[in-house]
Amino acid sequence: MKLRTGKFFIREGFRNLKRNGTMSTAAITSVIAALLVIGIFFIIVINIDYAATKLESQIEMMVYLEDGLSENIINTMETEIRSINGVKSVEFISKDVALKNLEKNWGENSYLLEGLEGDNPLPDAFLITLSDPSKASAVALSVSSISNIEKVVYGKEELAKLLNATYVMRISSAAIILILLFISVFIIANTIKLTVYARRREIGIMKFVGATDWFVRMPFIIEGIIVGIIGAVSATAILGAGYYYCSGLIKNQMIGLMSISLIPFKQIISSMVVLLIIVGVVIGAAGSLISVRRFIKV
Amino acid sequence: MIQLRNVSKEFADGNKVLKNINLTINNGEFVFLVGSSGAGKSTIIKLLLKEMEPTTGTIIVGDKDITKYRRRDIPFHRRNIGVVFQDFRLLQDKTVYENVAFAMEVIEAPPKEIRRQVPIILSMVGLSRKSGLYPQQLSGGEQQRVSLARAMVNSPSILIADEPTGNLDPDMSWDIMKTLVEINQRGTTILMATHASDIVDKMKKRVIEIENGIITRDEMKGGYSGEA
Repeated sequence: MKLRTGKFFIREGFRNLKRNGTMSTAAITSVIAALLVIGIFFIIVINIDYAATKLESQIEMMVYLEDGLSENIINTMETEIRSINGVKSVEFISKDVALKNLEKNWGENSYLLEGLEGDNPLPDAFLITLSDPSKASAVALSVSSISNIEKVVYGKEELAKLLNATYVMRISSAAIILILLFISVFIIANTIKLTVYARRREIGIMKFVGATDWFVRMPFIIEGIIVGIIGAVSATAILGAGYYYCSGLIKNQMIGLMSISLIPFKQIISSMVVLLIIVGVVIGAAGSLISVRRFIKV
Repeated sequence: MIQLRNVSKEFADGNKVLKNINLTINNGEFVFLVGSSGAGKSTIIKLLLKEMEPTTGTIIVGDKDITKYRRRDIPFHRRNIGVVFQDFRLLQDKTVYENVAFAMEVIEAPPKEIRRQVPIILSMVGLSRKSGLYPQQLSGGEQQRVSLARAMVNSPSILIADEPTGNLDPDMSWDIMKTLVEINQRGTTILMATHASDIVDKMKKRVIEIENGIITRDEMKGGYSGEA
């Protein structure tokens, strides 16, 4: 495509927008509405996902060691565990530390543990945190193949439940977002269809003087993209302001009550701008394509 | 050269608009296509522009069989054929100059070429002084001349005129005919579908008459209704 042709398309695209002011406003409004719904959904989903990931990352694995191993052996074991794929960190908890932790946990009942210092029955252990909780069983298998290990313990069933729940949530939210996208494309297609309809004579003339299909389509696609970008920027502004306000409210009122923490505003806003602009451009262009299709077949 | 070989066209409803048409028009000819409404004139035009496909037969334009063209070839085929219609089909929000330039813009002609070519073609149709006006400020005859200029600006070798004088009074019609003759004298093949018997009678050009999908007459220097 030649540069001046690109300029022609952009000029025509903006001209379409201006010429059909009311229609363009309607189109932009419907894009904003669609993107607001998608955006709100996106915010909810990634926040739940954020919380789930946090939970998942808290999943730990205890590895109990056989009694009476030398420090050397323990050190090599630790290096070995660290090298396993899926292991995030390894912490050695000696039997002495374990007993102290136990005393701390038992509080005033800790007198029951008195006298054990001399003959501590607790084993030495490694506390493993996982980088990817779905690899837990594989990690457990690798760890238990190392010699001198007594037992590997982790919340197998709870982990499976959590993984399953987050999986279902991710899939279903992706499906809902997809449905919302389709709906928005058709709203936009219907709106742009009116601009296309208003210009059907022009399209007819372009066709009989020998314009290619792409040449006829491009100004409308550019128009759709401009509508998409304007809609996306406005929707992001609205959502951003709303999110900023709400996250402030939650922070002030609910802290301490529950460990709800929203993704920080700065972190969410950048990904949301990118997401909504991409979505806006795609639905704008797709909507135009659909609406031009019928008129182009001359 | 335009050639139709054994061309038939049957619509989906079973209506046979063209029945085994054979027809050759040589380069540089001026041909009238006459016949009552619904006889098949506009079907022939649509076939030549590839707005429609024949049910059977081949159509040669230039030296190519256009029935073999694919969809993406059609725009390039149409660039070689100028068309004017009874209703002018001008863009009301563009000036005379812009209407003509538009035909060059959409085929991605260089701007320099557009600035050079549009005034030449406008002076050829006698509208140089009106290039800044809008279609609604012009008479019907002038509007048709704008559409002629638009049809000719990309120098097609064939000009198809579908009832170009249908909406014009006799004086204006003769204006248009004069311009068409000039265009023809520069070497462009002209195929004009018309009901204007007085024009056909006076012009003494080749006349092809079509009735009920069949060519009933094809004579050089003919009249509108034959010698009878």
